[in-house]
Formats: sequence, structure tokens, C-alpha cells
Amino acid sequence: MFPRFRISGIRMLKVFSMFVALVALVQCAPAPTATPAPAAPTSPPAAPVPPPAPSATSGPTRGGKVTMAMWQSPVTLNGMLGTQTVTGEVRVFVVEGMTGVAADGARYPMLAKEVPTVQNGGVSADGKTITYNLKEGVLWSDGKPLTCDDFNWLWQARLAPGVGVVSKTGYEDIEAVECPSPTKVVVKYKTFYAPYLSLFNESLPKHASGDLKDMAKWEYNRKPLGTGPFKIDEWVTDSHVTLSRNANYREKDKPYLDQVVIRIVPSSEVAVQLLQSGEIDIMWNNTEAELPLLEKMQGVKVSQPLQIGGERMFLNMAENKDPSDPKKPHLILSDVRVRQAIEFGMNKQRIIDKLLFGKAKPGSSELNAGFFDCKATPRAYDVEKAKTLLTQAGWTPGADGIRVSKGAQVAPDGTRLRLKYSTTSGNKLREDSQVLTVEDMKAIGVELFIENAPSAVVIGTWDGNSPRRRGNFDIIQYSSNAGVDAHSQMVNLWASSQIPTVDNKGGTNYSRFSDPKADEILKQAASEPDTNKRKTLYCQLTQMTFDQANMIYLYQRFDIDAYRDRLQGWVENSWDNNGWNAASWWMKKTTP
Amino acid sequence: MTKYFLRRTLQAIPLLLLISIAVFTLMQLIPGGPLTAYENNPNISADDLARLQEELGLNVHKHIQYWNWVTAILRGDLGTSIVTKLPVRDEILGRLGNTLYLSFVAFFGALLISIPIGIISATRQYSWFDHLMTTVAFIGQSMPVFWFGLILIIIFHTTIKNPFTGGPLFPGGGMFTIGAPFALDDRLRHLILPASVLIFFSLGSHIRYMRAGMLDVMHQDYIRTAHAKGLRERAVIAKHAFKNSIIPLVTIIGLEIPGLFNGALITETIFSWPGMGRLFFTQGIERSDYPIMMGILMLSATLIVVFGLVTDVVYAFLDPRIRFD
Repeated sequence: MFPRFRISGIRMLKVFSMFVALVALVQCAPAPTATPAPAAPTSPPAAPVPPPAPSATSGPTRGGKVTMAMWQSPVTLNGMLGTQTVTGEVRVFVVEGMTGVAADGARYPMLAKEVPTVQNGGVSADGKTITYNLKEGVLWSDGKPLTCDDFNWLWQARLAPGVGVVSKTGYEDIEAVECPSPTKVVVKYKTFYAPYLSLFNESLPKHASGDLKDMAKWEYNRKPLGTGPFKIDEWVTDSHVTLSRNANYREKDKPYLDQVVIRIVPSSEVAVQLLQSGEIDIMWNNTEAELPLLEKMQGVKVSQPLQIGGERMFLNMAENKDPSDPKKPHLILSDVRVRQAIEFGMNKQRIIDKLLFGKAKPGSSELNAGFFDCKATPRAYDVEKAKTLLTQAGWTPGADGIRVSKGAQVAPDGTRLRLKYSTTSGNKLREDSQVLTVEDMKAIGVELFIENAPSAVVIGTWDGNSPRRRGNFDIIQYSSNAGVDAHSQMVNLWASSQIPTVDNKGGTNYSRFSDPKADEILKQAASEPDTNKRKTLYCQLTQMTFDQANMIYLYQRFDIDAYRDRLQGWVENSWDNNGWNAASWWMKKTTP
Repeated sequence: MTKYFLRRTLQAIPLLLLISIAVFTLMQLIPGGPLTAYENNPNISADDLARLQEELGLNVHKHIQYWNWVTAILRGDLGTSIVTKLPVRDEILGRLGNTLYLSFVAFFGALLISIPIGIISATRQYSWFDHLMTTVAFIGQSMPVFWFGLILIIIFHTTIKNPFTGGPLFPGGGMFTIGAPFALDDRLRHLILPASVLIFFSLGSHIRYMRAGMLDVMHQDYIRTAHAKGLRERAVIAKHAFKNSIIPLVTIIGLEIPGLFNGALITETIFSWPGMGRLFFTQGIERSDYPIMMGILMLSATLIVVFGLVTDVVYAFLDPRIRFD
């Protein structure tokens, strides 16, 4: 009797705990703590142009090994199948493209002899034909020559159906890639594609990839062959990638280093220790919170170029409803004076000082760095002005200080100035900044209530009930950036055709901004082959939207990376990955 | 006995099926999906996303996805990772070895240390040794692993230097020195810190169970009889007490072994160990890689069932009074 009873008890306990364990396993996995997209989303692989010679008294020397720690492991090294930043961080040592982006955000020729422009004849008058001349004698790291055929192949691969190529944007608009000679690449577009320079910033060896329909199984995905300064020896997922010198590299005597090792160190606290002990030379992607420690660390330098884009609040101009009808105005936020008042009432500097260790710039506009920088001045913090604007807009303080409408544009009299304020839950910086913003808003009589959701929901799809898509929000906060060429981002954010609706579930104009003048500017820009003129148009639009204050830019962060000072030749560049000029890196011999 | 096992094995089939349905459903409830990573990228258009939905088979109705998965499993195919496009089997096998290497060393290490401590603690109840070990056990259990791991790295990697080489005493993570040829001492040096963290953590519960089991047995009549017939303390414990006292610990171990295959996420993260925990969490959950999640969860469900059975055999061996029919 006794044993039987005992066994079944234990068995029940076991079955039960098995279920608990499984449920716990799945559930304690908090919805993806999705990190906000870091700078440069589809980091175009780029590489070396000789940077200014190292200022040290002794010049570069050959040999040595550099170890870089990254907290994330790439899932693939095929840039067509994944857009992770870390994929780019590894590929940059290996893969080169036609052009690259230098520290100032301007393009420089990499595999091409020069950056095609209308002036040098590389771009036809209608902008639909782009001609690249390849540098002479460029070899793949296996010794085979790089030819125009490889770029034709790249175009075909980008369009390969059914294999999971992430982005075909731009490549779809190409009619043909012609090869009049092995070193001349003529790209013919069906329709003009404004950011044409963003394409072909990678290369794909036709002889060392495989059948297009088998792309998902290519060996290339784990060991891409390139023309860059280093070649991949071994990639062990979640552990390391080792790279060694490409003897066939196109620049004489370069690269200086023999080896590059990329170590996956998921804990940044540990990576800081490894940097201190010298087990690693570079620590990728630091936070502001680590700066005080890093700056004090002996023998360590901190690289901190300014990022483009940044944290912003989207103010919903259309009704807050699921789904929102873009034709119907928001009860409160459709009035430009209210939107401006909110921005005047925001103490952005306080967020930066309190939460970002003073290491960030107050946000100004979408285009705040690089070639497309419109150099907008952020709205100054002005509580009085904010209050005046709100009063003018028909919102007067009620008994508890929160404003109530009387003669407002849309809201019926007696409406309380109360707005829902959402961001991605679990992101401490954002949640802390919300607290400060709520305080700031209370001071001008605006009540914000916080309702956050996992980032997979906030930054999700229509069918995943993302409020930014369906329009059932007042204010949503997260980060975004325009990337190297602002074209896509400008269209996504400001074109009225991009407003998400039931018929346009993938729309990206989340604040429901709609202005025929803006549409006109975007149309003009989309057909403007001259990049300088295009920039002027974008800056016009940026000014317009700045006045509308439907997007409030909070802060612009820095790309913080740390490296030991024995590594020489480092050049800060927030437009590309750390290794963009790795061909010129060298190691100072340490005297024991 | 044979009949019992046959029955249990047959019972496991519907149970596993049920679990797979539960897991599959739960997985779908996690917000987001494999394409969430691309949602905020200005260079990936809505058209691209719609096409990827199609190409990755995410448009297929859920119950068909499930059916496809089950039928593939029956053919021995765990599917292909959505994120890396590699076979799930290869992804798991690539990490399983690393995980078992660490977790079994820690597992046996913890047993070797905790069993004798538990026995001594019980036989010398309330002695200074017992108090000390109880304290140590509580510290081990209540100390957060991420904190303890980091402290070990700060002390034994960053601060204390190897007196012979001048370098760090222990490496600050990884399984071996990258690029160096295989060397046993190198492997061991990399193993010591993460294994210590895991051992210290499980020490607590193991000592407690061993001590409690032993105390329970020590108060039984037959132990008094053994003492009365003049057996020495050592013989009483080894011959009469030990086997019976270990049953509670065996139960815990039976539940623990399947967990060893899952890896230890936090320890793997702190010590840059390429194991199962990180595969499940960073690739499976964070990227919504459903085939990876399903593969790992079903593997652990199967192991739980198998080791449940194994535990029962061990009971029968330890206590012949226990019979299955």
C-alpha cells in the first residue's frame, strides 16, 4: 500500500512540475526585449580609404592581432539574408562595395574608381543610367579577379525569389546590369531611384556562392568571400569569428594586421573586465552608463561619433481609434499649438543630464548628421511659451492644474488635456525618460498617463495590434534613424500615401501627417538625380515638419565604442561599422 | 516491471503530443514574430515584409504549420531555423556538447561535494560544521548567479594575476583560448570559474536534501537497532542509512538531469559559453525562431519523461519495497 501511494504522488508531482517548467520556460521569456534599432540599419559594408597617417612618431608596423568583443552573435554573414548590425560588423572586414561612407557622411569610392555623379558622367541626365568603373586589378581573396559579372550576379541574387532575401528595395527598380567590359558596370533603372548610391555597396563572388535557389544553404552564408582586407578562417556561432590577412588585398602593404578575432561576449559587464585586463582590444557598442568607468580606465580610448536620428515621440494627428480614420482629426493633438506647446514644455537637457550622463545632444530634426544634415536648432525649453500657446489654443488650467478645453479647435468644452503615452516596456532608459516627461508636462498643465507594451507590439504589425499602425495612440516613443540616404525614411514618415489604414496595413507614416506640399516635395526629390538638390528639398520638408511639431525629437546619442590605445589607426565613423578602415589598423608593440 | 515500462512509454506518446500542442500554442502567444527585427528599418519596405511572410511560410495557417511540424518530427526532421536557415538538429547539436560538458562537470562536482557534507551535517546535527555548511548552502542558493559570476571574473581574471606569466589567473570567459591548439590545461582553466558558479548554486539544495533525508532515516527504528547491535557509526551510515536517505536527493536529481541539457542561460551569458541556454533565449525567443523553440522544448519534454522513468528504476533499486505493477 505505502509504496504505491508514494510513487503516484511523486509521479503527479513530476508531471506537474514538468508542465510548470515548460510554461515557465516559454513565459518567463519576456517578449523580445527588442533593442531599438541601432544606427545604420542595413549597414552598408564599407572599407578602407587610407585615413590620415597615424600621428605616432613611428609609422605603422606589420603583424599583430586585434580582438573585438561583440555582445551579439550574427545569425548569418550573408548580408542579403540578415540585416543585423553585428552581421555588418563582421562583414565590414571582408566585403567591399562600390562606394563607402566616410566619417563626415560623404561617399568615397571603394571598388569603383570614383563616385558616379551627373558632373563626372557617371549618372545620366535622367538619372536612370549609372555607370561605375571598377578599380584595376582587384582580386577576391582567393585570387580570382573581380569583374562586372559579379555585380550582375549580385543584382540577380537580390531578386532571387522564394529564398528569403530581406530587402529588394531599389534592386527591383533595375532593368539591367550591363557589362561592356570586365571593369565597367552599367546599371539601368526602369524608373529613377533616388538613393541609387545606396545600392551595390556589397559584392558577391559569382564563382564562390552557389545556385540562387539554394541561397539559404550557401556555404557563403557562414564564410563569405570578399575583396576586403581580411578573410574569414572560422566562425563558431555564439563563440567567435577568426579572420586573417588577405594577401590579395588591393592596397599595397595593407592590411598591417595579421589577424582579427571577434569574440562574442554577451555580458557587457564582463566585456568591460576583459577590456581592462587586455584580453580584448575593442569593446563594441557601449552605453552612456559605462562611460565614466571607461574614461577612467588606463590605456583605453573611447570612440564616440554622433549618431544620426535618435529617440523621438510620435504625436498622433488623427483620431485615437482602432483603426484610426486619418481624415478625422485628433481630439487634442490635431492643433499645432498644442503640439508645439508640448515640445516647448519638454526639458530635453534634463533627460540627457539625468539619464545619459550628459552624453547626448538634444534632438532637433530627422536629418541631424552627415551629408543630409539640415542643422535645425532644437526648440528651446520655454515653459512660459508652452503655457501661452496652450491658453491660446483654448486650454485653460482646471482646479487641479490640468488644463480643460474651452473653445478649443476640436475638443468639446470641458475635455481634460489627458494623453496616453506609450513606449516599449522593459527599456529602462525609456521608462525613466517617461517619468521626467510626465513631470515636465504636468508643469504646463498636460496630463500624460503611461501605458507601455512589449516592443514587439509597439513596433509590430497591423495584425499584431501595433498601436502605431492602427492609430489607437496619442504619443508613442522610440528610436529610429534615416540611415545613410534619407530617401526611404523621409517618404516613410511624411508621405500621406504611407499613412497606415486597413487597406495599407504596412504604412509607416505613424503620426498621420498629411500635407499636399510635403507630398509634392517628396515627389520632386524622388526624381532628382542631383544629390545636393535632393538635400535642399529634404531640408525644406524638415523645416515644415519642425514647425508642425508632430514628431518631437528627444535626444541624439553617440556611438560609443572603447578600444585599447595599443590599437592604432582607429577612425571614428558612425556611418559604418567599426572595422571600416581596418586595413589601416596596426598594433603598437608593447614594451614589457 | 516490463509491463509497467511498456505502459509508461505508451503513455508518454499522447503526453508529448499534448505538450507539443501546448508549447506550440504558447509560442504563438508571444507577441511579435521572426520579422519584428525588420519592422523599424526604413530600408525594408512593407512589400519586402509581405513577401518575407510568404517566403518564410508565416502566412500558412497555424494548424497547418503545426501539422507540418508534427509530421516532420515523425520523420525525424526537426525543421530548419527561420533565422539562420540551418537545420535545427545542427543548431542544437552544435551547442549540446558544450552545454553537457559544463553542466555535467558541475552536476557531478556538486554531488561529490554535497553528499558527504550532507551526511556529516546530519550525523553531527547542530555542530559548528553543520551550522557552517547550512550557512554556506543558503549563501550559495540565494546569491544571484550573474552577480556571483561577475565577482569571480573581477577577482580571478581582472584583479589576481598569474604569478608565473603575469597574465590573468583565469580567463574571463569562453571555452578555450581562441586560435590556440587543443590543450587540456587550457580547457580546464576555462572551465573552473563557470563550473564553480554552477556547483555553488546547486550545492545549497543538494546539501539540504541530503541532510534532511539522512536525518529522517537516522531516527528510524532500524538504525537504532543497528546501533544497538554494536555496529560502528560508519557502518551504520554506509550500510543501513545511506541508501534509504538518498531517495529525496534522487528525486531532485531526476528532475534536474533533463535541465542539464537546457543549459544555464545566465552562466553561459556571463562566461561567454556557447551553450543551449543562449540558443534558446537569444535565437529562439528573442528572434521568435519557432522551430528552434519547438525543437529545444520538445527535447527537454522528452528528457523529462525519460528521466522520470529512470528515476523510478532507481527507486526500485534503492528501496526494494517499492514495486511497480
